[in-house]
Amino acid sequence: MKKIVIKLFAFMMLFTFAFSVNALASSEHEQVTKEHSIHKEETYQPKPFGEMIVGFLKDTGVVALVSPDPDELSSTGEKMSDFHKSWGRVIMILIVFLLFYLGIAKGFEPLLLLPIAFGGLLANIPVANIAGPHGFLGVIYNMGLANEMFPIIIFMGVGAMTDFGPLLSNPKTALLGGAAQFGIFGTLVGAVALTHYGFVDFTLQQASAISIIGGADGPTSIFIATKLAPELLGAIAVASYSYMAMVPIIQPPIMKALTSEKERKIKMTTLRHVSRLEKLIFPILVLILAILVLPESTPLIGAFMFGNFLKESGVVERLNDTLQNALINITTIFLGLGVGSKLAADQFLVPDTMFIMILGIIAFSVGTAAGVLMAKFMNLFPGHKINPLIGSAGVSAVPMAARVSNKVGMEYDRTNMLLMHAMGPNVAGVIGSAVAAGVLISLFL
Amino acid sequence: MEANLITEGVKFMFLGMGTVFVFLIIMIGAVNMMSFIVHKFFPEPQAVKETVSVNTQQQDKKKIVAAIIAAIAYRKES
Repeated sequence: MKKIVIKLFAFMMLFTFAFSVNALASSEHEQVTKEHSIHKEETYQPKPFGEMIVGFLKDTGVVALVSPDPDELSSTGEKMSDFHKSWGRVIMILIVFLLFYLGIAKGFEPLLLLPIAFGGLLANIPVANIAGPHGFLGVIYNMGLANEMFPIIIFMGVGAMTDFGPLLSNPKTALLGGAAQFGIFGTLVGAVALTHYGFVDFTLQQASAISIIGGADGPTSIFIATKLAPELLGAIAVASYSYMAMVPIIQPPIMKALTSEKERKIKMTTLRHVSRLEKLIFPILVLILAILVLPESTPLIGAFMFGNFLKESGVVERLNDTLQNALINITTIFLGLGVGSKLAADQFLVPDTMFIMILGIIAFSVGTAAGVLMAKFMNLFPGHKINPLIGSAGVSAVPMAARVSNKVGMEYDRTNMLLMHAMGPNVAGVIGSAVAAGVLISLFL
Repeated sequence: MEANLITEGVKFMFLGMGTVFVFLIIMIGAVNMMSFIVHKFFPEPQAVKETVSVNTQQQDKKKIVAAIIAAIAYRKES
């Protein structure tokens, strides 16, 4: 083994020696060739060995971080400040490590957070320009995110995983999923107000893209962000997924503050059986409604219902299985890396990001509160009472939000199973945020 | 110009929430109608399911009886 290494080393020395001799010989021609330096990249110019070492050292990451190349352009081809080229990258890499920690040790949506964070790590490497148009992250971004392909495929998989049974057996709980969309539009007003009072400078498009975080639906957020404000995609996706993971922390205090002990103990009537035919007709029915009312929402709803229809048809088990597992997993990897490419320092380390994070958590809280209050409002009318705790499940975040409703309900009455009841508003929330997304798109395009 | 931005946002809010609710209310109505029609005209053949299971149970019993008879016959022969 040792011998081989020595031999290899000797070989390399021989080569470098040969090159340097060559370089000496041709140094006279250098003056001439410099004039033709336009083609320098195509024809290799022999250089003396010392120059090569210096050139190589100049290309190291350490040098690139300490004294950045003034001509280096960002992945979008714009000029970057020196901070974003040097310390900004170091800070971003540390943030990425924090995301790793949150994903692995705390279990915050690791399926998406880890690919996003690693994409962010790769995007902040100097010189290599991985997130640039010809780097592999850039290629992934242009392949499926710039044209909104990946979120749509994810939606197909989510559709194949969704069971509309609870919603079908108690359709009126869909209103809770609608009310929770107030998180989106309330935050939109908030973001616009922030701009008005001069804290930030968000355009109406950017404000809309940020507020969709309140829909608590990752693919929808990414879909809207790439369409309306691609420059904010990284921050919006990170905010959206990290808050979705924090639903069990954010929601319970709001739910408890807005309900009385008596309301939290309301027992709901058991759900009736839903026939297979109803489940099969439902996706087509919703799609037809979307076509008639708001065609702009059909890319999302269409993909969602396609996945669900394949599942409920019961005759294409192979396709259903692929949608639920292989396809959604592959797409998640690419989606995560593509989003991560937007975590480059020059795009993420801006004051806007902080406001996006704040507005995002406000959007989540407002959505939760609106859902709970809607349930209380519906209880004013005669009919079967609704436990207001399931209102919070109206923000999508399937199935996390429904589990939170169930858990809080069990705290007050151990026999009160709210999970299936909460799944109704939960899946209605997905439809609701897709409709809200459609409204925003139709307003701008 | 900037003052308009807030009113613009509020307009978006009403339009958006309105659309979401109109869509969901229509959806609820349509789902209720669909469920009604499905239950009235295409009831799930639950009764058939039960008889099928009864049939299989009976068949199982018959098989068991046959096995017992065969066993007794075998013993008698030996």
